[in-house]
Amino acid sequence: MRRFLIDTDTASDDAVAILMALRTPGIHVEAITTVSGNVPVEQGTKNALNTVELCGADVPVYMGMDRPLLREPSHAYFFHGDDGMGGLQLPPPKRQPERLHAVDAIINTIISAPGEITLVTLGPLTNVAVALRKAPHIARQVREVYVMGGAANTVGNITPAAEYNIWCDPEAAHIVFHSGMPIVMVGWEHCCGQAVLNDEEMAYVRSLDTPYAHYTLDINRQALKACKEWLGLDGLALPDPVAMSVAIDRTICTSLGRYYVDVETASELTRGMTVVDELRVTNREPNIEVCKAIDIARWKETLYRTLR
Amino acid sequence: MDGLLFYEKSKEANLAQPVLVDTDPGIDDAMAILLALRSPELEVRALTTVHGNADVLQTARNARQILELAERSDIPVAMGAAQPLVRPFAGVVDYVHGANGLGNVSLPAPKMPLVNMPAACFIVEQVMAAPGELTILTLGPLTNLALALHLKPEIAHLVRGVVLMGGAAFCEGNVSPVAEANIYHDPEAARMVFEAPWPLTMVGLDVTKKVVMDKPYLAELQQAGNRFTQFIASIIPCYIAYHNARYQLDGFHVHDPSAVAYLIRPELFRTQEYYVQVETQGSCQGYTVVDRLGLYGQKPNVKVCVDVDAEGVLTLYKQRLTC
Repeated sequence: MRRFLIDTDTASDDAVAILMALRTPGIHVEAITTVSGNVPVEQGTKNALNTVELCGADVPVYMGMDRPLLREPSHAYFFHGDDGMGGLQLPPPKRQPERLHAVDAIINTIISAPGEITLVTLGPLTNVAVALRKAPHIARQVREVYVMGGAANTVGNITPAAEYNIWCDPEAAHIVFHSGMPIVMVGWEHCCGQAVLNDEEMAYVRSLDTPYAHYTLDINRQALKACKEWLGLDGLALPDPVAMSVAIDRTICTSLGRYYVDVETASELTRGMTVVDELRVTNREPNIEVCKAIDIARWKETLYRTLR
Repeated sequence: MDGLLFYEKSKEANLAQPVLVDTDPGIDDAMAILLALRSPELEVRALTTVHGNADVLQTARNARQILELAERSDIPVAMGAAQPLVRPFAGVVDYVHGANGLGNVSLPAPKMPLVNMPAACFIVEQVMAAPGELTILTLGPLTNLALALHLKPEIAHLVRGVVLMGGAAFCEGNVSPVAEANIYHDPEAARMVFEAPWPLTMVGLDVTKKVVMDKPYLAELQQAGNRFTQFIASIIPCYIAYHNARYQLDGFHVHDPSAVAYLIRPELFRTQEYYVQVETQGSCQGYTVVDRLGLYGQKPNVKVCVDVDAEGVLTLYKQRLTC
């Protein structure tokens, strides 16, 4: 049994990623921790609890940092809707978040099972950075970390240079990337192009006619509009589910490279850019494994399997 | 039509496009200048030199030696900026271009004099003397051009266009993970040049790294056996050694000559207009930030070369240097 810890700013695509983890046999989600990002942390916590409830799971949800370390919060309502869930206005969840703070939950979960926990981050890295500052040794005790974030020297989605999660809290990302954690970075570029769900594939998901399939499409209706009209994509991009599929089955990532990766924090223009030293011009020790390509058919099959 | 005949015809019809070349020779600069001089579509009006591949005294010397080799000492050379706008000179890039910028090949000292004014003033003078006619081609850091803009901002409206070798739009850099050397070495100057309202075309690493002169190609070039191809053969060994060590390439990327090829045969390149900004600080210094998704809603300011008919460029180069 693999043991997952999911840190998330739960909005529409995060919810699908959580659902995938909860519905994959052989994976036990130990805890979900929430952070400010796509939506304020209270809203993200509700969205996480609703998703857990839909899956009939009893995973504890811990609320975490309500803002980036230094930057002002900047939410992505335009992308995910005013509730982060396509404006569906879901009923309030039956369960409440746990009383423990997310940062302590991350530390406790990792140190209570050294070498066992797979951490998957789907939002800004504020919680993880604070946890690392409080308990630096978790960097060596975590089994592996999958980070949905960044864009490997390619086009960003919130600015031309940066991906949203890293851009939101670049200082936190800087701390995490240089912490010594064994990180696999799954950048935003892997959910674009052929990896989007096109109209035909969305129709297929709808035809599955399960609560999970309907939920997936309904909460992403605003995201779909934004993908098509704003980003000019051919369908629905699902960054967090793509990263989760790699966390579930690492071989979905077909090309992986170890590089020195830095996060820009000094400048406004390239704030949050993940600078990947592909040609090794900096002569710095690699610190991150960068996902360079995924098996698109298998990512989609992993998603469908959890929605059936 | 063969090259020479075309040359005569275009002279008669006065079709040649006047060009001022700002350059830091530099092995590939030398190769680019020779291509420009041997192409009837272009009339090289002047060279201006800048710090970059070597210090500015050396690049001014190299520029004149190249012109004298081509028996074109009628073309004026003005020496320009010794260092970037706000930074110190980064130092000679001897591991790429040799200690003297020309692969450590020593040529006779140039006889022709330098123009008696700094490059930036000379650029202004040349643009003002032929309003709307002159194309500026830059092969090095953009310091001279930025200084010229400082002296006379109107030149932005009086040039026919600016074509620059530099930048990396959608590919990795060559001097940092994200930055190309010409932009990296004077990012503040590059920012000024990118923000000025002139028609700007970027011939960056996206295309220049697709054009590779490999050993068989270079052997064919050398077989022509004229003084130009002999000169090229003599200066390139250290350039090949660098590319071999860094890129495991048995040959080299064709940077500056590709920018000249763009002037001669733009149809060999696919371009796309974008809003582009230059990063001047932090770990992304010198990165050309291209707003591909239109996130900023700004009007495009740069025509970016995104693809190239590499064979076409190589054929053109060989044809012009060997005819």
